[in-house]
Amino acid sequence: MQQSAVTFCVQRLASLKLTLAVLVLLGAGILYSYSHDAWRTEALVAPLALLSVNLLAAVATHPQFRRNSPLLMFHLALLAIVLLIAAGRMTYLKGRVELAEGEVFAGALLEVEQGPWHRSGLERFAFVNRGFAIDYAPGLRRGRTANRVDWQDAAGRRGSSVIGDHTPLVLEGYRFYTSPNKGFAPTFLWQGRGRAPLLGTVNLPSYPINEYNQAQEWQPPGSSTKVWVMLQFDETILDPAKPSEFRLPRDHRLVVRLGETRHELRPGDSLDLPDGRLIYQGLRSWMGYQVFYDWTTPWLLAACFLAAASLGWHYWRKFAARPWRAGEPEPVGTHAARADSCS
Amino acid sequence: MLLELQLLWAALLAYVAGGCLAIVAVVFRKRPERTVLALTLLGLALQTASLALRWERLGHGPFITMFEILSSNLWSLTLVFAFAYWRYRAIRPIAAVVMPILFVMMGWLLMSDPGEGHYPPTYHTIWLFIHVGFGKVFLGAVLVAVGISGVILLRGAGLGRTRLAQLPDDARLDDLSFRFMAVGLIFETLMLVAGAIWAQDAWGRYWAWDPLETWSFLTWLTLAFALHARVTYRVRPRTGAVLVLGVFVLAFVTFFGVPFISTSPHKGAV
Repeated sequence: MQQSAVTFCVQRLASLKLTLAVLVLLGAGILYSYSHDAWRTEALVAPLALLSVNLLAAVATHPQFRRNSPLLMFHLALLAIVLLIAAGRMTYLKGRVELAEGEVFAGALLEVEQGPWHRSGLERFAFVNRGFAIDYAPGLRRGRTANRVDWQDAAGRRGSSVIGDHTPLVLEGYRFYTSPNKGFAPTFLWQGRGRAPLLGTVNLPSYPINEYNQAQEWQPPGSSTKVWVMLQFDETILDPAKPSEFRLPRDHRLVVRLGETRHELRPGDSLDLPDGRLIYQGLRSWMGYQVFYDWTTPWLLAACFLAAASLGWHYWRKFAARPWRAGEPEPVGTHAARADSCS
Repeated sequence: MLLELQLLWAALLAYVAGGCLAIVAVVFRKRPERTVLALTLLGLALQTASLALRWERLGHGPFITMFEILSSNLWSLTLVFAFAYWRYRAIRPIAAVVMPILFVMMGWLLMSDPGEGHYPPTYHTIWLFIHVGFGKVFLGAVLVAVGISGVILLRGAGLGRTRLAQLPDDARLDDLSFRFMAVGLIFETLMLVAGAIWAQDAWGRYWAWDPLETWSFLTWLTLAFALHARVTYRVRPRTGAVLVLGVFVLAFVTFFGVPFISTSPHKGAV
């Protein structure tokens, strides 16, 4: 009795009509999550979970489904895709980091978004930004990015790579992509009272998109003084009228404002703050990187190709049973031509 | 640029002549099929030359501006339709349904700005060609299915019942339409996969539900729904034809409408 109730439930769950209803539900969930922020994940997860259950029930109860290998393989590949995406969402990491030329990435990100089960491995490797080249076409149209990086992986192996569009730096499964964000970074030596000297950079807003806002407020480490800095130069770095290349200005001034007082610094100049001395070392460039980690991507790709291949196999087999042109009248002269070829 | 446009206009004239002849042929129950095919192939040759000249001049394929997207899709849709027209003699009168759709695209193309756009660094990848190629086969297959479905619906509505009588019966047309839709599903699946591979390396993520991704997936879902419904309910040819039209409308909006409303990086024209 109990067994028949279970069988009844599984059969109801295996219904193809339920598949159609859940496909509509998934479509609605996508439209909902496209336009709403709240309950976005739930709107997608619920129908996908229901579809998965529906599929498993169909496999369990329909022998003809199990006998149709390509169709079964296609649906199981879809199920694998759903499960892999779920696993990926639990363990992924997405982040952002900015590195000045010569600066070492040692595991700290500016922004990070990650799955609840992500175990960070960012501190197991390191890399240094060695500078970049970007060409601009007339009209400030950005060309390719070539960013040289020196790296050391978790096993201690060292290497050098040029990364950029379509070519990330991949270390321990973490993928570092250059982003369109890059700019100028004044470099300071900060000698706080009673503290060891510290070398650091202030990354000014991305250039050229913030060409007229090359200023930033910051606080030296351990200091209570707020420092406002602004980069000034007279030359045109990226000329909208002709091809050009991103580079540092040949001559520049750094305006530093401390409260109501204004100073202009050139490389080597220093400034005394109430709690230390700030020495301007010069200007560098900085590059913004997007960081992405998802161990499921190669498996996901394999599952996607399996799905596409098995779908093709299924339809190939299905349509081969009856020719596409079945029932079509033979063109005049075909019989004669065949007779000729037979003789 | 002038020669490119002259070639394009000449191609459009050939398409229009072929299309009008196909429609007139259905109305007057004539079969000037070789002429229709010859005019279509002439148009294709002229448009191929126009696209090649533009590609050579700009140094990149027709993937950036709406003018380029419309022109390349008009070319690929016509190519797929010309193949179906040549290969499946029995369904040739569907040209009377398909050509008006292509005429709309031609009119839109003529109103678009033929100026050049910026070719972003993220487009320098083989996956762009693979992704776009699969997309074009998908839309072409669905277009042929729409032509077949249009005939079913026209006959069902009592329009041209005698003029379209030379075509196979509705059940056979429904089967053929289903086959083209199945081909569409395979190629849309491949298009989505190739797009995800491209997106991973171009933008550091394989899927982000940007407007074009969202609507492409909705199209895939609708296509899957249409094929499933056909199996589940063994729908009548007319119902199947309506589902095919629904898929095509959604695909058309995704291909040519979403790039207008999207401001995200993946908007078809950036």
